[in-house]
Amino acid sequence: MLSRLTALLICVASLVTAHEMTPAYPEIKPSHVKGVVKAQLTLVNQREDIKYYLVEVFDKNFINIPFSSPYRIMKLDYKERKNFEVYLRKIDLRRAVYICTTSKVLKQRSSKTLVSSRICSRIDGGTA
Amino acid sequence: MKYSLAVLSLCALPAYANVNITGNVAAKCVIQTDKSGVYGNPSASVLSTAPSDGGVLPVVRFDVALADYYTANITHPTSFSSSPVLSDSVAWTGSTAVTNTSDAGMSGYNAAKTVVGSTTIFDLTVAGSTWFSTSSTATYAASKPFSGGTYVAVVQATCIAK
Repeated sequence: MLSRLTALLICVASLVTAHEMTPAYPEIKPSHVKGVVKAQLTLVNQREDIKYYLVEVFDKNFINIPFSSPYRIMKLDYKERKNFEVYLRKIDLRRAVYICTTSKVLKQRSSKTLVSSRICSRIDGGTA
Repeated sequence: MKYSLAVLSLCALPAYANVNITGNVAAKCVIQTDKSGVYGNPSASVLSTAPSDGGVLPVVRFDVALADYYTANITHPTSFSSSPVLSDSVAWTGSTAVTNTSDAGMSGYNAAKTVVGSTTIFDLTVAGSTWFSTSSTATYAASKPFSGGTYVAVVQATCIAK
């Protein structure tokens, strides 16, 4: 009984602090603007300590690639899910490899290490 | 009336409908922050997350739905994100290790990890949950005492699609 309760508590404790982004390999689709393509992703914030996520696009060496999105810094309340689109120029598509979201940690008042989480999806048709 | 009801009841065939339940399992990575770390201050010039130094190791859990789709890249701090003004340099050390797994097949993760600078890379070749803990130590130059105040550093936990 105690072990079940402990397991439950561990599960509950771990469920409230997650950062999740899907899909791992978003589909690139044409947008309504000529020469611009888009990818649609979903972000879920289950980190109670985080409210903002930064959206970035990188090449294979993690150098920034220009992009457009309605949410460059996205506010997500605890347990909120948001679909968002990332627009890229077709000419940048050859270099672009990753779309990443990074949690933005707030300034703290105690001596500690904070965990910034980042999840990167792959848009170059990467292989697993 | 009775006869017509009887005839109608014979005509009323039972209606069957198939209701499908569909599901989709796709590659997905979830990063869980199990524990934020705390710096202990074992001596005036040292801040350390080691439990033996009075600190707490930060613990991060990676959940992957499918095997071999992601790598976990965890970077230990090399600077403070906020601190009092420091006039001298700080020497940083740190490391990341697997501390718990949901599958016995993950037992080789520590041996197979690669370290590039301050980043430790684990290939998540098995579906399930992996717990990583990161140690971090900051030593002030020439054993000077750290100024009084709050020191915060950030561990970067990254899940990258392969």
